[in-house]
Amino acid sequence: MANTEASLKEAMSSIEGTTGVALVDYTSGMALGTLGGGKDFNLEVAAAGNTDVIRAKLRTMEHLGLKEEIEDILITLNSQYHLIRLLKTRGSNGLFLYLVLDASRANLAMARHQLKKIEAELEV
Amino acid sequence: MVPEAEARDVLDELQRLRARVPLLSGALAASTDGLVLAHDTPGVEAEGVAALTAAALGVSIRMTDAAGRGGFRELLVRGGSGYIATYAAGSSAVLTLLAEDRINVGRLHLEGRRSGARIGELVDAALARVERPAPARALPPRPTGTPNRALPQRPT
Repeated sequence: MANTEASLKEAMSSIEGTTGVALVDYTSGMALGTLGGGKDFNLEVAAAGNTDVIRAKLRTMEHLGLKEEIEDILITLNSQYHLIRLLKTRGSNGLFLYLVLDASRANLAMARHQLKKIEAELEV
Repeated sequence: MVPEAEARDVLDELQRLRARVPLLSGALAASTDGLVLAHDTPGVEAEGVAALTAAALGVSIRMTDAAGRGGFRELLVRGGSGYIATYAAGSSAVLTLLAEDRINVGRLHLEGRRSGARIGELVDAALARVERPAPARALPPRPTGTPNRALPQRPT
């Protein structure tokens, strides 16, 4: 089991191409922890904005009558991948991990696999 | 008092903010002494909220001061069915937002801080102009040597 800080560090160091990572509470839109990012990429803004992304998707699924759960969401930009992974471990409902990847350096399949592992070990 | 034109600019800012942020049910700008500058708060009595904001602000300023945490920036209160958030807006005004319980608080903070800074600029600029009134205006002479702002100042 790993705490928030250790998990963010692990994501940052072990997932190739990661430029920023955040653990976010999507009931409030606020980040529990962030690592990376910087002046030209404000992770607090990303946390609040992607909270709306998740809420919109959950609402759409509800309207469609889908009784499923979101495992992850991938957003592909020109030069970046944004990966959102909802936490499913006990006691961490309503949280998601948000990963910003440099598309030229990242291996998407590997990133997704590693993020899943980090999520499973994370204890908030 | 803040001139009419600036009060309209502040109201525009409040309305834009409400249009931009979902689940934001009211927005009001008040002077630090509790007078409404502009409001867009359907179903809520703005005067009362502004007066209570000033009272809460007084306690908040003393609290940040006593705890050595610098000047007042913002205040968040959560009730059973929503939030009340107050943000500093320049040297003599505050922005108070009323939000539903399901609001994205992260976004509320981002938008509230930005809007507070914008309203602060508007109000401070307006007050700076009032400090140098046109000679034609029949204002009672003010004592010299004290800052003759229309709004009382709080220490920041």
